[in-house]
Amino acid sequence: MKLVRTPQLDALCGEYLLGSLRGPARRRFERALRDEPLVALRHQYWQRLFALRYAPAVATQPSAAVWKRLARELDLARYRTPWFRRLSFWQVWAGAATTALVLALSVNMLQPRFAPRFVDIAQLAGADKNPVVTAGLSDDRKQLHLRAVRPVVAGPRQSYEVWLLPESGGAPISLAVLGQLDAQFALPAAHASGILSGAKLAVSVEPAGGSPTGAPTGPVILIGAIRI
Amino acid sequence: MLDHITTCQLLLTVAARQAGSAEAFERLYREYAPLLLGVARRIVRRRELAEEVLHDAFEKIWRSAKSFDPLGAPVGWMTTIVRNRALDLIESHDVARVTSYHDTIDEDPDGALDRLFDWDAPVEEGVDQQRIARWLRVCLGELDAVERQTLVLAYEHGLSHRELASHLRKPLGTIKTWIRRGMTNLRDCVESCLGGGR
Repeated sequence: MKLVRTPQLDALCGEYLLGSLRGPARRRFERALRDEPLVALRHQYWQRLFALRYAPAVATQPSAAVWKRLARELDLARYRTPWFRRLSFWQVWAGAATTALVLALSVNMLQPRFAPRFVDIAQLAGADKNPVVTAGLSDDRKQLHLRAVRPVVAGPRQSYEVWLLPESGGAPISLAVLGQLDAQFALPAAHASGILSGAKLAVSVEPAGGSPTGAPTGPVILIGAIRI
Repeated sequence: MLDHITTCQLLLTVAARQAGSAEAFERLYREYAPLLLGVARRIVRRRELAEEVLHDAFEKIWRSAKSFDPLGAPVGWMTTIVRNRALDLIESHDVARVTSYHDTIDEDPDGALDRLFDWDAPVEEGVDQQRIARWLRVCLGELDAVERQTLVLAYEHGLSHRELASHLRKPLGTIKTWIRRGMTNLRDCVESCLGGGR
């Protein structure tokens, strides 16, 4: 017989909520809760009327073992947020990055005298003799920079190679391989002493990555004498 | 205590079974496990059994969070799971329990009512439910003292008819009548409050 037809349905709902419905009667009522929507509805109504809320004083702390066992048995690690998606991770990261930036900026501003100063040493020009690039040497003679009048960027399969043509007339010495002519680079220490009045700087077009032979292989597009 | 909406969201996150479900579940556990352990302990008496109930109940909360109705009461839903699990357990541990509950039962059921339950806390589903809770307290107060005592003992300690009869030293039939009459009177009283807006 369906429970929903029972005149005691209300009594059963009440006793089930109270907890005094036991044994086979309790199991029969739970089956009806699943199988008979009207019973479930009546039970919901009783739940709303009889909604007792326990006071916080009832609480008592469980031992740590309960949570450990749950976490293990339910394999909770699978459902954790990966470390890089946690808000706290990015907050810490952003904090650290900001601190580093502020430090870097203040160090830079406190020590402007350590930034090298450049002195122009050569005007490099093409066949039409109009200067296209100005070369500058740092005051510590460790860096060279090239400033182009207009941006000159190498194609995807080529590079610009900067050469030192020694005053003595020896073989060109490679100083740098560049993707564009607005650049600053460290001078190879062995060749810094070759930067002298009378020597020349030249730029050739080479395959991407620079001359495969160690000597200029492509056309020399710019050349200029060094004057210090 | 977490608010109603947060608790619902945590349960829905658990139900979604995605990255973050474990954290939501852990937060629910940290927040409600102590209260629910207290509920279980009043029924099963022994701490190790209560922790067993807590474990099983949270396992069920994890597995059946998707059947939680977000319009319903999340704490009520979890409390029901714990109470049902505790009642299941004592049905198979009868002897161990009957010998121990006598010493710990509150002899002042009227005081117990206000120590055990929170009548003024913002109840989960909103103002209506909060009014129902207040009326429930009023209506419990209007019951016959013996009926009220029987209902509170049955609810708090999960006592069966037989246990109630033995504890209150009354015939089984009397206990059954008190419970049935008590619950009916309680329902009629709350319903008349609902209808009359008392």
